[in-house]
Amino acid sequence: MSFFGGSRNGGGLNNERIEAAMHEMEMITDVFNRMVSSCHAKCVNTRYADAELSKGESVCVDRCIGKYFEANKLVGETLNSTAQAAGGGGMGSSPMGM
Amino acid sequence: MDMSGLSSAEQAQMVQIIEKKQMRDFMNLYSSLVERCFTSCCNDFTSRALSSKEEGCLKNCAEKFMKYSERAGARFAEENAEQMQKQQQK
Repeated sequence: MSFFGGSRNGGGLNNERIEAAMHEMEMITDVFNRMVSSCHAKCVNTRYADAELSKGESVCVDRCIGKYFEANKLVGETLNSTAQAAGGGGMGSSPMGM
Repeated sequence: MDMSGLSSAEQAQMVQIIEKKQMRDFMNLYSSLVERCFTSCCNDFTSRALSSKEEGCLKNCAEKFMKYSERAGARFAEENAEQMQKQQQK
């Protein structure tokens, strides 16, 4: 496929690597979109009396994003350890390579 | 996201893919924002035209969401960078 004979780093295009990078990116985007949606539902007042985020809302957003990250990590670790305990490490390596 | 494992040709291709994706994401953001603001703000159908209250609400909703999204994005980038740093230190 590539003139340089395949998967060496200095070479041309490796579709496997592109696909892996794309999957990682899509996963990160998905996490981000869900995070935005969740934290908006939890933190932002839907009366929309004002176009600015209040101080309370801003603080809530900061904490919510941080917490979501922690939750993400914890759930990932739990899934991995459960899968490994269930025998054979069914899920393979952690998808948490963010 | 770490692109250092990719060759420069692959990085260029990834940049193109990312740009297309960003455009698609923006379109999705726009339509979901319209739905979100409509659901919150427009609940009175005694008239076809938008009342001034509904207009104000919609404008606030859109502006607020964009500011919120910016803040959330900034926090996300910070946390992501921190986490990547921790992973590299391991």
